[in-house]
Amino acid sequence: MTEKDIPQWLLENENYIPKSDKDTFINKSILSLLSLLSHIQRQSRHKTDLFGINAAFSVIFTILFIILLSVSRSMVFVITANIYLLLVLCLLKAEDIITILKTSFGVAVFTFIILLPTALYGNFYSITMITPKVFASVTAVNILSRSTRWNSITGALKTFFIPDIFILVLDITIMYITMLGEFSLNMLYALKLRSVGRNKNKRNSLSGIAGTMFIKSKEMAEETYAAMECRGFTGDYRIYRKFKFSFADAIYIIVNAVIIFCFIYFGGYLRK
Amino acid sequence: MHIPDNYLSPSTCAVMGAAMIPVWVMAVKKVKENVPKERIPLLGVGAAFSFLLMMFNVPIPGGTTAHAVGAALLAILLGPWPACISVTIALLIQALLFGDGGILAFGANCFNMAFVAPFVGYFIYKFIKERVKSGKGEYIGIIAGSYIGINMAALCAAIEFGIQPLLFKNAAGLPLYSPYPLSVSVPAMMVSHLAIAGVVEVIFTVAIYAFIKRVSPGMIYEGAKQKIKPIYAAIVALIILSPLGLLAAGTAWGEWGADEIKNVISGGKSLGFIPEGMKNGFNFNALFPDYAIKGVPDIVGYILSALAGAAILIIIFKIVSALKKGKPAKIQA
Repeated sequence: MTEKDIPQWLLENENYIPKSDKDTFINKSILSLLSLLSHIQRQSRHKTDLFGINAAFSVIFTILFIILLSVSRSMVFVITANIYLLLVLCLLKAEDIITILKTSFGVAVFTFIILLPTALYGNFYSITMITPKVFASVTAVNILSRSTRWNSITGALKTFFIPDIFILVLDITIMYITMLGEFSLNMLYALKLRSVGRNKNKRNSLSGIAGTMFIKSKEMAEETYAAMECRGFTGDYRIYRKFKFSFADAIYIIVNAVIIFCFIYFGGYLRK
Repeated sequence: MHIPDNYLSPSTCAVMGAAMIPVWVMAVKKVKENVPKERIPLLGVGAAFSFLLMMFNVPIPGGTTAHAVGAALLAILLGPWPACISVTIALLIQALLFGDGGILAFGANCFNMAFVAPFVGYFIYKFIKERVKSGKGEYIGIIAGSYIGINMAALCAAIEFGIQPLLFKNAAGLPLYSPYPLSVSVPAMMVSHLAIAGVVEVIFTVAIYAFIKRVSPGMIYEGAKQKIKPIYAAIVALIILSPLGLLAAGTAWGEWGADEIKNVISGGKSLGFIPEGMKNGFNFNALFPDYAIKGVPDIVGYILSALAGAAILIIIFKIVSALKKGKPAKIQA
């Protein structure tokens, strides 16, 4: 191809500078969707539960731990609980540690700021007790979510007599968050790419994206049900699982027994 | 509006959880009765939808962004009972898998966002829509329903916070959980929700509803075409009043001596814990005399400090080495 074949207008330099427009809200939406999707994808990459602990045990003991923490009025127990969590935390992978600590510190700092006025008026109890308690509870839940596969957690819920319909809906939800999330992410990208210069319809398009997501989700739901029915789904939801008691479970139970002992001992329940 | 753990007392959480159980049972029953089988997966997809809705940042005047909850929207699109299950599941995933909102406070969060918000929103929408027959009535209903719905939920959350210092105090009269009384918590929650969150909710709800109505009108939940009975008003009143019922329930649940409860009652409105706390002079230093932890033998204290130190060092080491390796970890903001 020679230079003659190229139309003249292609050879001219253009200095079109699109007018800048505010699209922070699109970027923010894209970022929050992306972080959500990457969180879920990282989860599904786990082949097995991290410590090899039965998910039912980790769910029960995490909830028990949070209850003990919330009931306890002993500063020593709260400190011990935080130390225990730090010990568990240091067994995890660095990227997990960073994400968990980010959330926990975020919530703890928020709590600290919220409670600061009470401290200025001389009530140090709230700020010194509630802040570490909040930190510990959030860390405990995040450790559970990072170290245990989500389908193990939903499976464990079945052990607690939660109705089938809830577990079914929960499972479908987690799957569809990924699918619909990717779907709306693409729409947001399209909106961003096509808005060159100033685009006044951008705000309206956002509700269009959410609306399309709803319609899409309805269609997907119907297709899912048809597929499930074709495979013989009757509405019952059972989990067949062999219960194996492993060495890790034993250690985990012993550790938690120590925590419960700490709660009783530091809470001063033995002295009464 | 997600309440984290330790802001509410465990007994409040238990009461709120207990209040939700009949609602959940009823919701499952209603859904099984009224929702055709092929629509059951829709509940899960609806939950995913409501979860993702909170990811959408809507620009608001003043340059910032906020996100909607969409409880009233779901109730209008799917019906109130399915919306209740969908929002419950979305909240469960947030609490259990993302650490957003407490595990113990799950009942309270569900009460506010999966029960109060969709039901108040739906019944106000329905009430206005059936009174005002023109096309405008529908939109007035949606605006009023979504605005009042989210603000009712915020009010419930504020009341739950606000009754904590009334009910739960330690021996020194200091609040054990959220320390702010109703006079602080209600304005703090309501101002932000009336001014910002409520407006965002309305804008988003109306815009999405209008879009779906234009694109695919057959999808919107019709509901039974009956006149609003007085019983609905009673339900709405109950919803609004029931957090106040905690005042009575809380004392019954209490783990306090009789004289302490007497204090709460006789103290009446003047439950100013702040001057009391100042008078009693709560002394922070008393907790850690000479850097040893009070009530623990020195050796145990040392061991605990050593364990904490070791764990913190390992964590710092791991983070530093991860950041050096091409910073893959930093992306997960």
